[in-house]
Amino acid sequence: MSLELWIGMIVAALGTYLIRLLPLLWMQKRLTRSEADGPVDALPKWLVILGPMMIAAVLGVSLVPRTPDAAGWLATVIGLGVTLAIWRRTRSLGWPVVGGVLTFGVVVIVARSLM
Amino acid sequence: MADTEHSRRPRGWLIGIREAIPLLGGYIPVAISFGLISTQAGFSTAETMAISTLIYAGASQFLFVGMAASGSPLWLTVAMTLLINVRHVVYAPNIAPWLPRSRWWPWLMHGLTDQVFALAHSRLPQLPESQRVGWFFGAAMLAWLSWIAGSLLGAVGGEWLTSRWPLLGEVMPFALPALFLVLIVPRFTSRRWAAALSVSVAAALVCTLVGLTNIGIPLAAACGALCFYMVRPPETLGTDKGTTDKGTTREGRPS
Repeated sequence: MSLELWIGMIVAALGTYLIRLLPLLWMQKRLTRSEADGPVDALPKWLVILGPMMIAAVLGVSLVPRTPDAAGWLATVIGLGVTLAIWRRTRSLGWPVVGGVLTFGVVVIVARSLM
Repeated sequence: MADTEHSRRPRGWLIGIREAIPLLGGYIPVAISFGLISTQAGFSTAETMAISTLIYAGASQFLFVGMAASGSPLWLTVAMTLLINVRHVVYAPNIAPWLPRSRWWPWLMHGLTDQVFALAHSRLPQLPESQRVGWFFGAAMLAWLSWIAGSLLGAVGGEWLTSRWPLLGEVMPFALPALFLVLIVPRFTSRRWAAALSVSVAAALVCTLVGLTNIGIPLAAACGALCFYMVRPPETLGTDKGTTDKGTTREGRPS
């Protein structure tokens, strides 16, 4: 990597860090100013709504299987179903994910061997 | 008595590490791919590690090495890298109300990726204030180190790994949708939220299928938010049970 590219990489890294940091500093100032109203009231309404929407969007992006064939999609649907079922029973974070990944793997292997 | 109870409670950073373990299923295979692609593009192992350590943002790293290798102008490479990461702007303000005062937060923001945000947004409100800095430190540090370790693995032995265990790289990333599903399901508190969140998931899925993965996240989130404002069921139906007009639950956290 040339010196020019190193500088470019450091600028990109610094910029990415500032994109994550500066909004926090802005929000912390806003929260300090409006402490009397309670912290949640200081959040702009659009921001309160956008947070869960971003998580939903990240879910949507991650739904596409690495190999998007019939077996991959079938495994995704069944894996999500099992994840949801385990979550309803346990209300935990870890077990539904473990169950979902194992199911996904088993369905992919079985479906590929049958197709 | 209170001291005994306090000492029995697991430490915040340990809980953070434990709860971030599912992220590894998504991080490590993608990081291995990045390490492999980076070395194939002509970057050394040390340079690959530096990119993963300092930029630490999946999609934009792939773009950075791709554009640099193809000889794109440096200013354009940097601008595109930053443009992809602009979506991170809304993350910190969304979790800020649950961050107790600490001088560590500015440093910890380096670890605020899409996935860590999703986890923190759901978990921080449920944790006692005394555990939140530790929790974030544990979760973010595990995710960061796994990303760096995965990049190293990919740079050193990516080709061997992907040829020996091709199925592992396909199965492990399912940990991410499984985790995000578990994080988002409790937010389906009303028809209005269910409609908006479903639109967001569907729009992101469509964007990814047509190759617009990077713009897909902010675009889909905007579609979901638009749906939230447009779908306003009659108040007499009482469909927004537990959710106030401001989009927060009565317990005071974003629903």
